[in-house]
Amino acid sequence: MAEAQRVRILLPLQPQAELMATAAVERVGRSIGFSRDTLAEVKLAVVEACLNALEYGGGQVEVEVVGFPEKPPRLEVVVVDHGPGFEPATLPTPSLQAQLSGERKRGWGLELMRHLMDEVDIRSAPGCTRVRMTRREGGR
Amino acid sequence: MRVETFELEVALLRGPLAVIEVGGYINNEAGEAIVATARRLLEEGHRQLLFDLKATRIINSIGISLLLEVLEMVMEAKGTLAFCSPSPSIAKTFQIMGLAQYARIFESRAAALDALSTPS
Repeated sequence: MAEAQRVRILLPLQPQAELMATAAVERVGRSIGFSRDTLAEVKLAVVEACLNALEYGGGQVEVEVVGFPEKPPRLEVVVVDHGPGFEPATLPTPSLQAQLSGERKRGWGLELMRHLMDEVDIRSAPGCTRVRMTRREGGR
Repeated sequence: MRVETFELEVALLRGPLAVIEVGGYINNEAGEAIVATARRLLEEGHRQLLFDLKATRIINSIGISLLLEVLEMVMEAKGTLAFCSPSPSIAKTFQIMGLAQYARIFESRAAALDALSTPS
């Protein structure tokens, strides 16, 4: 069995830093045989996790991408920030109908992550929020 | 670090219809440009806005929230918002959001032009 492919990066505090994470996903995903379409979905989810971390974490954001060359191949992405934390269960499920008649139109990030990845696990406490997501090739 | 660019071009104006080509990364900056363009086109009387996403590589939730602003503006103008040629991942994003209840989504620009030119 081939070894897992692993990339760790620190996102810089600059515009489009989230795309550094998607580049890592692309590189690792391709190396273990992910299709372009599945990778595109993983990248969308990773963009959302990174944007949340960059916006609410207030500092350094760490990203780890691990590719497991199994059958089917599997990607695991972990995004960590050191902000104040939040309680995921309290976040409302977004509703397009409600948003169209209201002021706030954001709040889709977590919903998209949950639909685009096979698993999303969020552990959050003051000082550390860790989002771990996995996706198998052809999953969902 | 590679920066993803954004392109926006009004490719066709035909009566009430305006076709806007959007390429690159739809984030906050791109979304704001889309809102501004949509507002101008609506003010000029184009109430059918078709966004061609063939060259759109990726979209984030901030860009999505700004597309919802465009949708709201079009609904207030009693117009039609349509998208064509989304990548599979963007089409899936729209499906997750339930966007097809409020906007028309087509696989190709030809299909969109055909449908939008036919009175419903």
